[in-house]
Amino acid sequence: MKKAKLSTKDILHLAKLSNLKLTSQEIKKMESQLVETLDYVQNLSEINTTKVSPTNHTVNLTNEYFEDGIKNIRGLSEQQVFQNTKVKKGKYFSVKKVL
Amino acid sequence: MKLLGKSITELLELLKNKEISEQDLFNYFVKREKKYNSSLNAFLSLEERPKQAKKGVLSGLPIAFKDNFCTKDIKTTAGSKILENFNPPYSATVVERLENAGAAVLGKTNMDAWAHGSSTETSDFGPTKNPWDLKRAPGGSSGGSAAAMAAYLTPAAIGSETAGSIRQPAAWCGVVGLKPTYGRVSRYGVIAMGSSLDCPGPITSTVEDAALLLKLIAGKDQFDATTTPNEVPDYTKLLKKPRKMTIGIPEDYFEGVDEEVKRKIFEAIEVLKKLGHGIKKVKLISPKYAISVYTIIQRSEVSSNLARYDSIRFGNDRTHFGQEAKRRMMLGTYTLSHGYYDAFYKKAQQVRTLIVEDYKKTFKEVDVIISSTTPTTALKLGEFEKYPFFGEVMDMLNEPAAIAGVPAISIPVGLDKNTLPVGLQIIGNYFKEEDILNLAGQFEKETGFFGIHSQLLKKYPD
Repeated sequence: MKKAKLSTKDILHLAKLSNLKLTSQEIKKMESQLVETLDYVQNLSEINTTKVSPTNHTVNLTNEYFEDGIKNIRGLSEQQVFQNTKVKKGKYFSVKKVL
Repeated sequence: MKLLGKSITELLELLKNKEISEQDLFNYFVKREKKYNSSLNAFLSLEERPKQAKKGVLSGLPIAFKDNFCTKDIKTTAGSKILENFNPPYSATVVERLENAGAAVLGKTNMDAWAHGSSTETSDFGPTKNPWDLKRAPGGSSGGSAAAMAAYLTPAAIGSETAGSIRQPAAWCGVVGLKPTYGRVSRYGVIAMGSSLDCPGPITSTVEDAALLLKLIAGKDQFDATTTPNEVPDYTKLLKKPRKMTIGIPEDYFEGVDEEVKRKIFEAIEVLKKLGHGIKKVKLISPKYAISVYTIIQRSEVSSNLARYDSIRFGNDRTHFGQEAKRRMMLGTYTLSHGYYDAFYKKAQQVRTLIVEDYKKTFKEVDVIISSTTPTTALKLGEFEKYPFFGEVMDMLNEPAAIAGVPAISIPVGLDKNTLPVGLQIIGNYFKEEDILNLAGQFEKETGFFGIHSQLLKKYPD
């Protein structure tokens, strides 16, 4: 398999998707480190996986539901919900303008 | 009364017979923590007095929790500056179950930030030191829990493992570390890393203690849909009935392992042979592929799990993330991106299927599989910086079991020439924790783990 390649533009795009701000030094470091990791994991191409289905998790449980009418013992009080926030207005979390 | 090095089973007996009071026992560990934590940095925070007083089989027992277990109104940081002031409004199921059994939170232990690492050096609150040699790392990410257990700053600790984070520090610190089957123990309230891999588990000084704690924390939890309804056996009772087993030795797991470590493992295998167990060579998929599968799956799940830290509802903003977390999120975002998903994430999940099938097939021939827990004994602090995925290499022997979700335990089998502990891991079939505990217990009974724990504790007197 061909060697992985990431440009500065790719790194900036990934940083945007990850909601991270990187310094120019970090961008440079990230380029080489991510490529090194991507090169390593390419050894998986040595393994034939045609017709193999993927495993998402290993316990194979499906459709776990709560019973109807079960008491919600997990609910938090208003005080608990807001106890760790710095920016609150009345009964709302306050965020920057989106539009 | 001399308490130094006593197992929780022994301490509970003393409490029951009123030879020591609950308060005095708690104070004993607080005192030890104050004496030694400045040099070890195993604890991030300490409770001055027990916060709860429920009655149960663990009544009066202090337990240390890795700092990624939410503890109601006790600061929980996951080793990251993002959560440096986070006070959880609820406790993790594991914490709650142990508290309901009578245990009290002694304190919260240091860890690699977000559990990203295998040395506890990526903690935003400074590295934990290995009690055997303060210039060395304790392993990680549950390094604080393992170091606190080894230096007896706590009688037992709870850690969590995504791949190796219980077994590897247990091996490097010379204590017992158990990673249960995925789905055996609830992840509810544990700050998530790789959700399809994360497993909470005990770090203790004896196998019996591990069995006792596992029984209490295991079982279906309505708040974690991946916990299974399988019945939880009485591990303590089953431990008392030694069984003869067929042990599989996978040759590929010895590749790249330090010669001295290998020698110790072979010596341990001789002990097991002498106890009457059968040895059988088995062929398993090379761990070098497990490293890749794990790297991709874990980074992908990390990028999703860490997206929630937006500083709106809790925590500091995303500029507080350390290098390792940023690196992992970036890679995970890449492997989940359109155009790369099939080549990386899906491919990794497919190879994961093959690793699962590989184990299932092998467990038709043998009861357990053993290897060294780590390729080397504890490395010096600072060495991890040389490698972008140092942890993956240090955890390579732990990753196959993590990916497959099978249980495994690490036990001490002696010291190398630098007086550093060597760990042996026993991997079991799905939901067969009783098998690995049984074999580990037999080894402990035969060897007393060569007295290495009391040897270490001479360096940490009361």
